[in-house]
Formats: sequence, C-alpha cells, structure tokens
Amino acid sequence: MPNLNINGRNMSVEAANDTPLLWVIREQLQMTGTKFGCGAGLCGACTVHVNGEAVRSCQTPVSDAVGKKITTIEGLSAKSDHPLQKAWILEQVPQCGYCQSGQIMQAAALLAKNSNPTKEEVVAHMDGNLCRCMTYSRIQKAIMRAAADMRTASNAGTERRPT
Amino acid sequence: MNKHVKVTDNASSDLSRRSFLVGTSATAGLALGYSAVPGLLGADQALAAPSSFDPSVWYSIGPDGLVTVTCGKADMGQHIASTMAQIVCEELGANWKDMRVQLASNDPKFNDPVLGAQITGGSWSTMMNFDAMSRAGAAGRTALTEAAAAAMGVPAGELVVRDSTISHPKSKKTMSFADIVKSGKATKTFTPDELKALKLKTPDQYRLVGVSVPQLDIPSKSNGTAKYGIDVMLPGMAYGAIVTPPVRFGATVTSVDDSGAKKVPGFIKAVTLDDKTGTTSGWVVAVANTFASAKKAAEALKISYDGGPNAKVSTESLYAEAKRLQGLADSGQYFVKDGDPNAALGTAAKTLEAEYTTNINIHAPMEPMNATAEFKGDILHIYSGNQFATRSGAIAAGAAEIDPKFVVMHQMWLGGGFGRRLDADMMVPAVQAAKAVGKPVKVIYSRENDMTMDFSRPLTYQKVKAGVDGDGKLIALSHDVVSAWPTQRWGIPDFLSPSVDKKGPLDAFTVNGSDFFYTVPNHYVRAIKNEMAHNATPSGQLRSVAPGWTFWAVESMIDEIANATGKDPAQLRISLLDGAGKNDGGAQRLRNTLLAAMGMAGYGTTKLPKGEGMGVACVSSQERATASWTACVAHVAVAPSGEVKVKKLTVATDVGMQVHPDNIRAQVEGAALWGLSLAMYEKATLKDGGIEQTNFDTYTPLRMSQVPEVAVNVIANGDKPTGVGEPAVTVIAPALGNAIFNACGARVRALPITAAAVKAAMKA
Repeated sequence: MPNLNINGRNMSVEAANDTPLLWVIREQLQMTGTKFGCGAGLCGACTVHVNGEAVRSCQTPVSDAVGKKITTIEGLSAKSDHPLQKAWILEQVPQCGYCQSGQIMQAAALLAKNSNPTKEEVVAHMDGNLCRCMTYSRIQKAIMRAAADMRTASNAGTERRPT
Repeated sequence: MNKHVKVTDNASSDLSRRSFLVGTSATAGLALGYSAVPGLLGADQALAAPSSFDPSVWYSIGPDGLVTVTCGKADMGQHIASTMAQIVCEELGANWKDMRVQLASNDPKFNDPVLGAQITGGSWSTMMNFDAMSRAGAAGRTALTEAAAAAMGVPAGELVVRDSTISHPKSKKTMSFADIVKSGKATKTFTPDELKALKLKTPDQYRLVGVSVPQLDIPSKSNGTAKYGIDVMLPGMAYGAIVTPPVRFGATVTSVDDSGAKKVPGFIKAVTLDDKTGTTSGWVVAVANTFASAKKAAEALKISYDGGPNAKVSTESLYAEAKRLQGLADSGQYFVKDGDPNAALGTAAKTLEAEYTTNINIHAPMEPMNATAEFKGDILHIYSGNQFATRSGAIAAGAAEIDPKFVVMHQMWLGGGFGRRLDADMMVPAVQAAKAVGKPVKVIYSRENDMTMDFSRPLTYQKVKAGVDGDGKLIALSHDVVSAWPTQRWGIPDFLSPSVDKKGPLDAFTVNGSDFFYTVPNHYVRAIKNEMAHNATPSGQLRSVAPGWTFWAVESMIDEIANATGKDPAQLRISLLDGAGKNDGGAQRLRNTLLAAMGMAGYGTTKLPKGEGMGVACVSSQERATASWTACVAHVAVAPSGEVKVKKLTVATDVGMQVHPDNIRAQVEGAALWGLSLAMYEKATLKDGGIEQTNFDTYTPLRMSQVPEVAVNVIANGDKPTGVGEPAVTVIAPALGNAIFNACGARVRALPITAAAVKAAMKA
C-alpha cells in the first residue's frame, strides 16, 4: 500500500506497484484534472511534477513516485492563480481544454527554472505536448506573458538575457 | 414546468433543405427519441430553484440574478456554450459577469431550432441558433421590463435595461434582475407566435455581440476542474477496457479465453459485444474494479477471430477499386449537372485531366472515446461528451434493447470533437458491460483502440477533366468523386440529398464544395460510392468533411488551368468569380475575400527568392447554403530535396457578422493549422483490413515546432453570421500545393504532400 505525497498531503493508496501514477491520481484520489491521452508518453496530457520535474504520469509506475513530491494541476496554485493559469485566461488559450492541464504543468516546470526563456527554448520544451485544437501560438504567448509576470513579481536583480 | 417556446420556423429560407427535419423524429427506422419520462427533469429544471424565472427553455434567471443558459450544442472547444450565452445576454440586457452555462440533456426541447435534433457539426451552430437565442433573450427582457413597470408604477416604454438592471430615468427608480425575480412577478411566457413578433435589436444597437468577452468555459479549463466524459465518477462504478480486432470492421469473435484475465486482481468479467446496431464488430470488454486492472485483464484475454469479408482490404485495393468505379460510365449519381460537359470537352481547344487523392485520416481528439452507462430503475443514463445526442441515445437504446425514450444522455465537455463524437460506438461497450455486470461501467478506449477504430475521413479518389476554348476560357469541367459515404452510414434518409439525375439519394457530405461559385457553363460532379471502402473503413465526418477533399481537387485544377493557359492563378479565379446567374452574391464575396488575402500577403507585389513561392486558393466551405468565404495565400520555400518549409499562411474569411472576434480568430487559426496538419503530416494506411497507425508515434498531427506564421483577417460586414470552425481547414492544402508549384514547378496531387513526391514531381 504505497504512500504518496501529493499536492503537499500524504495519502495512502491501494495499487499494485506497476500501476501507472496517472490512474492512481485520477481514480483513487479522484483528481481528474490530469488527463489520459495516449498511454505511451507521446502526447503530454498526463503531465505532473515529480520533485519539480515534468513527467508523464502514464509512464510512471506508482512505486517510482513513492517518497517524492508529486504536484498535479489541482496543486499547482492555491487559488488557480499561478502566473501561467492567469496568463492562460488572459490569452484565452484553451479551446477544448483537454490537453491544457498537461501544457500548464509542462510549462510550469520550465518557468520554475528559467523565467526568461527564448521562443526556441519554449518550443523545445513544449514540443512533446500535443494540442489537437492547435492552440500552440496562444500557449506560447501565454508562457511568455507568465514569464514576464514572474520576473516582475520576483523583482530581484536576476541576470537578464536578450530575448 | 417550463413552457416550451422553441422557435421552429427559422427565417433562413436557404436552410430549408434541412428544415424538414423539424418534428420528423422517427423517420429513420431509428426511433430518435426521448419522451417525458415521469419524474425526470430536464437539465434546466433540475438546476432551477423554485423561485427562479425561466422565460424560455434556453435559460433560467435565479433569485440571485445569475442567468444560466442551457446549451443544446456540444461544446468541443469552439466555445459554443459561451456564444449562446452571449447572444442571449445581448438581447436580455444582462451583465456578462452574471452569465453561466450548462450543457443540455437529450430532452428534445433542447433540439436545435433549425435542425430539429441535437447534432453539432457543419459549422452550423451560430448561424442556426442566432435568431432563436436572440428571441429567447428578448423575451426575458420583455417579461422583466413588464414586471418592473408594474412594480414601479411606470410605463414599460420608459424603462432602460442594461447590465442586469432596469431603470426608470425620470423617477430614478431601479430594480435589478435579482429584485424582479425575487418579487415573483416575472412570470410571462411566450408562444412561438409571440416570440416571432418580438422586436430584436438592430446591429447598431449591439453592446455585446461583436465584443470578445471572456469565454465562460476557459477558467475551468485552466485549473483542471472542467468535467469531460472521461472524468465521470459514479458510486459503485466499474471500468471497462476494450479489445478490438485486427480488422477495422466485419470481424467476429469465435472464442474468448479469460483464464489469464481471471488472475488479474479486480477482474470482473469479459463481455463479448452483441451489437445489433451494427456500429461495432468483434469487440470484447474486460470489466474490472479499476481501469488499470481492466487494461491488464484486456491484455490477458486470448481472443480468436474470424476476420470476415474485409480482412484482406488495403489502401492499395481501395484505390484500385475507386479507379475501377470511376472508369464506369454508369457509376454514381450526379450532384451537379450544368450544360453538357462531355460534349464541351470533346470540342475544347485544350483539355486537362488529373487525379487527386487523399489518404485515410484519423480524428484523434486528445480525449480518447469513452462513455459511462448506468441502469437506474427503468432509465439508462449515459454520460459522455457527444455531438449527436439524438442518434447516439438511440444507438445506446439499441445496444440495451430498450426503447430510446428511456435513455437519458448527460452531456459533458468534449475533449475534442472534430466530428469524431458524432458517432456512438462508445455507447455500445459501456451499455452492454453495465448490463452484464449489473453496475455502472465507464469504458475508456486506449489510444490504440481510438485510432484503429476511428470513423475516419475516407480515402478519396477524384478525377477532374477541364476544357478551355481557343481564347483560353474555361468552358467545361467534369469532376468524379469516389469515396466511402460517411453520412449514409447514419441510416437517416433526411441527411441525404436527391441526385440531379434522379438515380436515388446521394451523400452530399462527400461532394459539398464541388458545387463552387465559379462560372463554368458545362459542369458536372458525380458522387460515386466506394462500397468496398464503405464496408471496410466505416467513415465519419472529419473537421470540414467533403470540402476538405473536393477543394483540394478543384483549387489544384484551377491552378493547372492557369498554368496551361498562361494566366496568373489568382487573376483566373477572379475572372471565374463573375457572379453570373446562380453564383450572384457568393461569387463576389469570395472574390473580395481572395483579394483581401492577396493584399495582406503581398501576392504579386513581393519579390521572392529562388526556391520560394506563393499559392492561392479560395473556398465556399462548408456548403453552398452555409458558406463562409475563405481564401488563403500560402508562402513556402522548397529545398532541392523536395522538403517544404511553410513560411506563412495568410487567411482571410468573410463571416457575415462576428459574435466574438477573438474566438473567430482562434477557430480560424486552429482550422488553418488542421488544414496544414492534414496536408503535410497526417496519413493513415490500411493493411489486411486494419488501420496500421496506432498512436502518436506513427500518426503524427502537427506539433508546436511545426507551426508557421499564420495571419488571419476577418471580414464582417453585418450579414448573417456564418460558421468558422471548419472552412479554413479546406483552403490550406490547395494553397500549399499551388505555392509549391509556384516555387519549383512541381505539381503534387496526393495528400499528404511528401518531400519525395515533390522531388519526383520536380523531375517530371
């Protein structure tokens, strides 16, 4: 019976060790913001953070996540107010919305490390996340907006790079 | 009880071809139904508090002043629920922040007022619901105003309605919508005649239509709380994983050995489907207490099949059959027959002839197909995001062997539709599994199930012949379109169209677009059903449907004619869009749209380096009666290897009236990128009766790194609103093909366009 630390809470779940983390999150913990898309790590809809890294939860056996810090879209921010979530609304990014939890989690992992990414860095980081509605240009815009907001908010003399 | 105030007499007379659907709910041999099951409430009634005010079936105003609009259309990302609320809000005079949306059940009172059914497609929703939603909003405003006038003791005509408040400027009295609803004095309901008589705003009075208000569904899609079909959780629910046969359609299960599955903890039962609706064939559902266990059990089942009649069919045999059918003089039925093309071709000074093909394409929405079924008393409850609740409920009933009136469809947000969720296959395993295990069951397709069992865009083969006279004028065009017939598969005669040669109904959703707005005196279009493809690859409606292939052929051929006659391809189009006869009106709008795209792109004015080119295309997608006028200039660079780099897509579209400008841009851009994805990156193939591509490693829709610059220009001159979800899909492939020819002289005639094909055509 694995114990998981998820969105800051310790939870005991009942699942075989090889059960994909995705299904434990969705079914047992009933947090359905993380989506099933391909079951093969090819689309990014199931992206969550494990120890701050963006991982594909459909490819992560639950046993691999034990003892690590798991964050899902539900735990990304207290009031749906992560700079990316605010930017997603301001840029009116989602169409069907199904891939967007994964897109936001993927982007959040980038911005946590690099709040001043170039367009090329954004594309390289996001290319594994499919959006069948093709909202890609708005996703890019929203990431750039969120990054700018984060830089302003941090208000620290971090080194600037030319964009 | 709500009073049913549906408007059935729509003003758009050019849509009359479909208006006969209104009220004919059981014409299909399918009882498309649902009736007032005792004790069941429609979605709006379930929500409405006793003291709320429901001026129309389409919305309810609560005592808190919140206005909840019930959307009868499937929302698959086109934000149609928000758009319906916006149209209601405009006429009602509510504040946008007071608007909410919910999704309708399959109660027929929520049927589309023009289509008479719950079906979402064709880029029809805004154009067909604008009037009804406007009148619903105006009815509420009228009723609230009358109630406020009585309460204030002033004439209704002196009241001003704005931002959910009714005020009387002379006396400075005001009442909020909430005050009026709480007073219980707003009770007026409207007959269809009264609704028709309501005076609507004129466009110059609009305050909200034409404004990009925040979409109501976007916050929930940015924090994971939007509920899709796959997210439904019912108490005591089990999960189903399906095992589908190696053959797309026609296989039967001969034996199931579940000894391995029985070793999987949580396994409940393997259910072999007995699908009398003919929607699926040879499917088995493994049911277990979790999806992970169901999947494991499914993998452990040992199933034997009889492959059936389609087990040897391949992409190659589908093409060969299509060519054979096209070559027969008596194949198919005529969709268009103007003049005498064969005679004119015989006397033409010059003739051209070309074959255009498109491969099988897969919808692959990001949310794999799924449905949850629960039998509760006499009622079968279905939870699933679906585009055709009217038919899908009937299929669910068929699978359950019950009367459709006992099926309640609970609509969910759709994780992508693109036409895929017009189909009802997912209902069958959910219903039969739930029945077999006596619990609610949620069936989820694996991506592999979803891809190999798609109701795909059919493989198409088109042959076009053109004749020009001594002056280089296009005098004849013959156009044969061979494909599976996706809409005929529905078994609903009302969706078929009579043939010009009276050889029986044809599936116009295989030839729409070929009845273009160019003036060509001798023109025929023949719709030819590829029975082999129809049986082996049951096809569906994929975003843009027929215009996605017919314009590939027509707009490529127009370029080939321009080249053969020494004309500029854009100027040739402009000359053919002369607006003569039946083309009056539409042709001029399309011409103007083409000119707008040309101007934006710098067509004919920008000097391009060697190896680069621009190509144009213009389309009247989706249908002649429902066209949006769309043009594209594609700018490409072609390497000597045949590799094509798309530098820019410039799209102009005339949409009549824009309800939500930002959403139109989002839809047009998404559609254009779909067009690019289909034109260059997506290809499915059939071998031994089965689709070979199973996941996103081999079926490869456009990714972020492949997105070119896209410029969108929206023309809105205040005409009736048209649709925007699909038309821009159809203009991209021909514009690209024409740009490639302009860049390097290589003419490609097969989709998707490959570097190898471009290189081969350079040499030719």
